[in-house]
Amino acid sequence: MKSARCLLQLQCLTLVGQSTRSAAQYGALLRAASSRRVFRHFHSGPARPKEQPIPAEFVNGDDKKRDRSLVAHDDLFERVAREVKTKATFNKVVDVFIKNDVRRRGHVEFIYAALKKMPEFGVERDLVVYNRLLDVFPKEVFVPRNFIQRMFNHYPRQQECGVQLLEQMENYGIMPNMETKVLLVQIFGEKGHPMRKFQRIMYWFPKFKHVNPFPVPKHLPEDPVDLARFSLTRIANDRDAKVTVHQLPCTDVTESGEQITLPHVVGIQSPSQVELLAKHNPNRPLFVEGPFPLWLRSKCVYYYVLRADPTPPEEKVEEPFDPERCLDYPLQLDLDLDRDLGDEESFDVEDLDEGPVFAMCMTGLGEQAVLNQWISGLQEDNPILGQVPTLFRLDAGPRELQGATDTESFHHHGPEPEYQKEERQPQEEPEVTLEEEPRTSQRMKR
Amino acid sequence: MMNVNRYVLSRSLHFGQRLVSRSTRRAATDAERLQQRRSIRTQSRNLAYAKDLFLGQVNKAEVFPYPEIGNEEVEEINQLVAPVEKFFSEEVDSAKIDREAKIPEETLNGLKELGLFGIMVPEEYGGLGLSNTVYARLAEITSLDGSIAVTLAAHQAIGLKGILIAGNEAQKQKYLPKLASGEHIAAFCLTEPGSGSDAASITTRATLSEDGKHYLINGSKFWISNGDMADVMTVFARTEVVVDGVKKDKISAFIVERDKLGIRGRLAFSACEVSFDNVPVPVENVIGEVGGGFKVAMNILNSGRFSMGSSSAGMIKKLIELTSEYAATRKQFNKSLGEFGMIQEKFALMSINAFVMESMAYLTAGMMDRPGLPDCSLEAAMVKVFSSEGGWICTSEALQILGGLGYTKNYPYERYVRDCRILPIFEGTNEILRMYIALTGMQYAGKVLTGKIKEMKKGNIGLALGMVGKKLRASFGSSADLGLTGKDGVVHPSLAQSAKKFEQNVDLFGSTVESLLYRYGKTLVDEQLILKRVADVLINLYAMTAVLSRSSRSISIGLRNHDHEVLLTNTFCSDAFFKNNYWMTQLQKHSPENNDANIKKIAREVLENRAYVCSHPLERTF
Repeated sequence: MKSARCLLQLQCLTLVGQSTRSAAQYGALLRAASSRRVFRHFHSGPARPKEQPIPAEFVNGDDKKRDRSLVAHDDLFERVAREVKTKATFNKVVDVFIKNDVRRRGHVEFIYAALKKMPEFGVERDLVVYNRLLDVFPKEVFVPRNFIQRMFNHYPRQQECGVQLLEQMENYGIMPNMETKVLLVQIFGEKGHPMRKFQRIMYWFPKFKHVNPFPVPKHLPEDPVDLARFSLTRIANDRDAKVTVHQLPCTDVTESGEQITLPHVVGIQSPSQVELLAKHNPNRPLFVEGPFPLWLRSKCVYYYVLRADPTPPEEKVEEPFDPERCLDYPLQLDLDLDRDLGDEESFDVEDLDEGPVFAMCMTGLGEQAVLNQWISGLQEDNPILGQVPTLFRLDAGPRELQGATDTESFHHHGPEPEYQKEERQPQEEPEVTLEEEPRTSQRMKR
Repeated sequence: MMNVNRYVLSRSLHFGQRLVSRSTRRAATDAERLQQRRSIRTQSRNLAYAKDLFLGQVNKAEVFPYPEIGNEEVEEINQLVAPVEKFFSEEVDSAKIDREAKIPEETLNGLKELGLFGIMVPEEYGGLGLSNTVYARLAEITSLDGSIAVTLAAHQAIGLKGILIAGNEAQKQKYLPKLASGEHIAAFCLTEPGSGSDAASITTRATLSEDGKHYLINGSKFWISNGDMADVMTVFARTEVVVDGVKKDKISAFIVERDKLGIRGRLAFSACEVSFDNVPVPVENVIGEVGGGFKVAMNILNSGRFSMGSSSAGMIKKLIELTSEYAATRKQFNKSLGEFGMIQEKFALMSINAFVMESMAYLTAGMMDRPGLPDCSLEAAMVKVFSSEGGWICTSEALQILGGLGYTKNYPYERYVRDCRILPIFEGTNEILRMYIALTGMQYAGKVLTGKIKEMKKGNIGLALGMVGKKLRASFGSSADLGLTGKDGVVHPSLAQSAKKFEQNVDLFGSTVESLLYRYGKTLVDEQLILKRVADVLINLYAMTAVLSRSSRSISIGLRNHDHEVLLTNTFCSDAFFKNNYWMTQLQKHSPENNDANIKKIAREVLENRAYVCSHPLERTF
């Protein structure tokens, strides 16, 4: 049954050119003959379109079948999708619908279906496509003409659909433009619900556009080294911090023919961290800890830190005041007076002494051997690392950090490849389920 | 051109020759030389005019009457000034020096012949042995050429000053005569590429050689005026000193001779880098004690900044001459330029500034020339801050009068503006000096205040009652009377109104300082914006004192045009009065005039961003 319908509809698609022409002819005829009747028909109420009121003689056979239900619109998309899902094909579908029937019968259903399909076609963030979808609504028909219509919810289904479309734009963070406004005014009038929605979006969106002081770019760098560089500078949030690529990812073939892939190691350290580390008491150990997650939009990366425990109070040395420090003015007042209570502006915050973080890094493989490489790289700038015991406190968290594409090419030469695979699993799974989800829901609806 | 350097003027070599009449000069100079040597080490301050202002008191005996010089010295000045003026107007081609960035040999020789390289070196070492007051007078003329002023100042105000104030007799005998004659030129090497006021960041190091006869100096110094032509240098370096059995790094001062080392003069003129690579310096060339360099440096730097007052005044007076000539002859719309109000304002500004600077500079110089070597570093710093900023404003206003012409190199104005721009920077930046001014006074007032509190805690009811009474009186709005006018008054009655304003300001200043001390205590050190206002008020108060004192004297002895002085004094005093009131209002708690919190926030956000923060006005969000 399904395949039969597909066949039919495929045929329909090839016939689109011809059929639309015939539809247009019919439409012209219709308009000339009984335009008044048609309008009245549209006004007659929201419940009607469901009932398939279209006289059969105005529609050719293929169209009749497609317009029968919501399933038809879904199918229309599915059919095209079989070839390739792009913006062009999506537009084509919309075109087909528009040219099919001059009265745009079932346009609400079509728009709902289209909205749902947008992410699949990768056009969910395309303003032009949204405007095209809005264009599917017949113009001027739903504009209220008297105060009673204005008072009540005029054409609620259509208005709701318009609002839904704007809502989806909002969810994807797409700001409507002038064209959207013009369309909305043409379709629903100056004061309809969709117009209100539009106004609200236009009120809030510009205000929120730059509300994040640490914006994440839309397109994250693809290269794992670039991504690590970006993430590390983001965490460090210190303009003086220097990113060092300790090792670039590369693939070597050893003499025995074995393929060795070296993971990337990218570290970051600021001059003040270098200074702090130089003052570190060499008898106290340093810790390499991690991995800690960092979310960048829908991507999760992991990083490691080099830190120490907070200095115990008995070891803290306050720098003695040197009266011969400043040549020009006294650096301290020698007085018994303290700050007045009324001028005390500091908050009473419970002071928790946290240990200092000396450096951070990201790597393709969170193994002690790899992290050791980072530490030895750090030693160039921080000679003290040669004397301080460094402990690795690594969680057994996800070790594969750069997603599936990166891991596929990776062949570890170490002793535990099995373990690697196990670790990789949880990282891949969420991606798969994410993709899977829409498909299953589709199937259920079918 | 006037490259960064610190120039400080000689502390004092002479008595104030004004009030004391002397039969022979020579006898007196011998006596005071002895006295000078002794008092270098005791930094006692028996003169506390500016500090007392912090307590709301006017120590009028210190500043009234305005210091005078004796008739002999007036003659001496006239004899000296005339040839120097002639030399500067006829033989010095400032435009050429500016262009070539080098003082010609014959000009230097001329300066040497006039004795300008040893103005304050005592006569027994071959100098002119003149007082601070005369030095200030000569600075008025030498300042007409920025490069020469810097060269002279770097030579004698700081270069040889170390030897003069802290050197031993042998060092003086050995070096001073040649320095005073200008045969040798001195330089002062303190600043390093990474070290300004912060002594802890000095990296030049002097290590004792194995035989214990030499120090080996390593390191490099930066921004050294005269560095390219200096023969004798005062160099500050770290040395290892054992204090209480603990080895410590302390700064010591050394005399280094040029022919013993390889100095690379990097910049062509005045300022250059001087680097030391294992330069041997004999042990006997240490100035003062080993490890005592910090005190020496501080004394040199603190002792004289006052001469900038007279230098700037000299410059502005010259500019007034030049620009008024232009304003009187140039016509626009059938009116001469001088008839326009906005041009008139500029001339008034320049005269007032020159007048105030002059008054402050000679008041301070007179104080310094008093017997007993008073510590006038606070006053000197105030003179420096006021005159460097006033000089900058006045030179740029003078240029403005000429409009586009002033901007061209055909006229000297742009050179003056350029030269003046360095004044707020060298000799200790004005920011640092404001800190010095405010903190020194605050420390003094704080000590007095805590002393009082202790007394009261001990149960001294009289003192407590007295303070309460003072508060009450102030709250009932009784006007302050510090005794400048009226019976026993020291200010001439025609200046009574200005004197009243001054008294009112001083009174309010005293209570403001007190409340600031109560509010902030020792954390006041970190409140730079408050300290800045405190310093500004104090500078204005000192300036008011100087003009009141000077004009009172002028009226009393009937100096020519003293009515103009009264006019200038009254104008300046009422202007300063309102400014002071405004600043002190800002210093009140929760004052709506005070924007400090916002200012700090703006700066913090800009610095976090390390750029201008705002979006461009043409940007859109939709």
